[in-house]
Amino acid sequence: MILAQVVLNGFLVGAVYALFSSGLTLIWGMMNVVNFAHGDFVMIAMYVAFIAFTALHLGPELFVPLAAMALFLLGVLVYYGLVRHVMRGPMLAQILGTFGLALVLRYATLWIFSANFLSLPENLLGEVQTFAGLRLEPSRVVAGLAALALTIGLHMLLTRTALGSRLLAVAEDRSAAMLVGIRPDPMQALAWGLGAACTGVAGALIALFFYISPMVGESLALIAFVVVCLGGFGSVPGALVAGLTIGVIESLTSFWIGPAFKDVVVFILFLAVLWFRPQGLLGKA
Amino acid sequence: MPADAPLLEARDIVVAFGSFRAVDGASLTIGKGEIIGLIGPNGAGKSTFFNCLAGDRQPQSGSIHLRGHDVTRASPEEHARLGLGRSWQVPAVFDDLSVRENVMVGAFLRHPRTADAAAAAEQVIDFTGLRPIAEARSGSLGTPARKRLEIARALATEPEILLLDEALAGLTPTEVRAAIELVRRIHARGITLVIVEHVMEVILSLADRAVVFHQGKVIAQGPPREVVQDPGVIEAYLGRSLSRKARA
Amino acid sequence: MMPAATRFAGRWVFAVLVVAALLAWPLFVEDQFYQRVGALVMLAALSASAWNLVGGYAGQISIGHVLFFGCGAYASLLGFTWFEWAPILGAPFGIALSLLLALVVGGPTLRLKGHYFSMATIALAELARIIVTNAPVLGGAVGVSGPAMPRSVLDLSFISPLPYYYIFGTVLAVLLLFTWWMNRSRMGFYLRAIRGQERAARSLGVPAQRYKMYAYLVSAGFTSVAGSLYAAMLGFVDPDSGFGILLSVKMVIAAALGGAGTLFGPLVGAAILVPLEEITNAMFGGGGTGITYVVYGAIIVFISRFAPGGLAEILSRFQAWRARRAG
Repeated sequence: MILAQVVLNGFLVGAVYALFSSGLTLIWGMMNVVNFAHGDFVMIAMYVAFIAFTALHLGPELFVPLAAMALFLLGVLVYYGLVRHVMRGPMLAQILGTFGLALVLRYATLWIFSANFLSLPENLLGEVQTFAGLRLEPSRVVAGLAALALTIGLHMLLTRTALGSRLLAVAEDRSAAMLVGIRPDPMQALAWGLGAACTGVAGALIALFFYISPMVGESLALIAFVVVCLGGFGSVPGALVAGLTIGVIESLTSFWIGPAFKDVVVFILFLAVLWFRPQGLLGKA
Repeated sequence: MPADAPLLEARDIVVAFGSFRAVDGASLTIGKGEIIGLIGPNGAGKSTFFNCLAGDRQPQSGSIHLRGHDVTRASPEEHARLGLGRSWQVPAVFDDLSVRENVMVGAFLRHPRTADAAAAAEQVIDFTGLRPIAEARSGSLGTPARKRLEIARALATEPEILLLDEALAGLTPTEVRAAIELVRRIHARGITLVIVEHVMEVILSLADRAVVFHQGKVIAQGPPREVVQDPGVIEAYLGRSLSRKARA
Repeated sequence: MMPAATRFAGRWVFAVLVVAALLAWPLFVEDQFYQRVGALVMLAALSASAWNLVGGYAGQISIGHVLFFGCGAYASLLGFTWFEWAPILGAPFGIALSLLLALVVGGPTLRLKGHYFSMATIALAELARIIVTNAPVLGGAVGVSGPAMPRSVLDLSFISPLPYYYIFGTVLAVLLLFTWWMNRSRMGFYLRAIRGQERAARSLGVPAQRYKMYAYLVSAGFTSVAGSLYAAMLGFVDPDSGFGILLSVKMVIAAALGGAGTLFGPLVGAAILVPLEEITNAMFGGGGTGITYVVYGAIIVFISRFAPGGLAEILSRFQAWRARRAG
């Protein structure tokens, strides 16, 4: 029974991983740029949620969309201000650009909020319920299910709508898209906005049950890299499956070996994928 | 290797992307001193086949021998060591390096010492007419100069066979004439050449033998002027209905 | 326009003057704060120059070089903790371990392209940090210390920062000499070709994987030495000061600011960044670290956006502009 609880918790966290990793994979697959600040975007979203709750007294039904909008704007800004200029430059510039951004976001937050761990009230969404012997924390359940729904929604948006096909057209072939009258710049900015909005929602959802600290972005970024590599670059369904898998693996590792080693297993998995199957476990050969 | 053995021989090459067979059992034998023109409509598989010959892609099946060595699974650098040079369809010069340094990278293959490599590079620079821009940063060059530099760089590895991938595409008529003249002089040095080219004019004026690709197979080969008259080749280029009209 | 010979001689005179100034200035500056900053500049320049072989010349952007720094730092202090060795005696073991690690993880990692390589190096360094943090035999989260009191000169434990300045400077000079030689030889050409276009380089007979490995090994060895010397000077190392990702980042920033892939770029970058960090730390106290890294981050964003070649690029642009105006 304990095992079922562990797997469930892993699954719910994994859904949130899947959501913000989908944002990374969207950007990555579309323009072959890695956002090294992706984890810090999530971190910023957590602080947005925290401020919205404590200063503006907004509930989750409002601070989640607010975080999504704030991060959408940040994503678009970062695209126009930085990424657009470095993405065709030398590799060093591509990597340092978003990496430097990560440092700025991380340490500016540290400077403003100090390194103290913050958190939202534990039972913001109600008391813990027990169902069939499983402890159901409303915050985790809501976060997990909302993330799951939004990840699937993102996939639908990309595959079932005209906007999605325009985005994918730019991803497929920039110059061909231009020939049929799609301007790549707004589309790529939109991809950055959507990718960042994913971190916005995910960050606000994680804040419901996770501690908030300026440093949390680093390990979240690595998780997003693992999920994207595992799921195949640019694939939202891949990110979903991989995110859930990583969530469960982490949860099981903490349970069997100890919380300190959950990242070890994730990183080893990451390296193994990079070394032996660079196209991702679910990607095409 | 026996004196009459082919310089480069590819047998039954197959390259498949998923279920699509880009190269579907193509064979080609190249003798010393030839100039081969590789032609075919877009998507015929000639570029993929070319990359197999150059060692940049490994075929799923078939074999490739270079000067008697089995190089089917050999790395690109092994191909270079065995005397195969190539240019790239999209010029791939080292942008941060000067023209001279680009050529020296090639020259280092046979001349490990810097002074020797520099001396060898000077000769290639003169031979290819790059002297006026030898000090320029290659990232600042236009397409014609880049294409010439690619040829120079490959020549500096002192190859026996040189594979040119659309080395003349995108050049003006004057530049094409200059490039053709350079290719002739390279051939006069005893270097065997394989040229992939869209411009039929170039193949007609340069190649001893044209090899026509269609749907991953070699459908015809022979003297260029005869090959372009071949009904099968015309059909491949123009499509069935058009070629029927042309014949009518 | 000066004749080439005069220009060449001029360069040598300039170089001799710079070296003389680097050797002599600490003797005239009494303040130990500045001497210490000088020593730290040399150390940062050493590790950034070591990074430069892989990240600058070969163009493989490692953000996990702290892996080797930590090996060196821990080897020297664990030698003391376990066997009471003088810290510097552990340095060869740190080098050996670093080379072994580089050999083992370098094989599959150097095959990765672009940001995949960067991410793999981050994961490797973080793995090392977590493992060390959770291994009590390696000092765990607390870290390990060197001798409390110097026992002999071998302990390299000096009150004055000056000896460190000269020791670090000497190792840096050895590394820069190697880099200078390498850059003019086949290896330098091959590395820069790999940075430019690896596929094209291979088609010219450049065994890319092997040369990247050579660069990685030399780089790992020198980074490890930097770690050992750092540990000898500080007499203490913990998982964050030995394997923390910020140290990797500092190596990258110093090199990128001065000019990645240039001989003196990392030294110039370190000479700007280290004083900047020390001064902000002194001004803002412990809370200043946040501000320091905000500035660091802003600097690399600025470099990547406007001058990916660092100050070296800005300098050459300025020279070109002056030449255009003069000519």
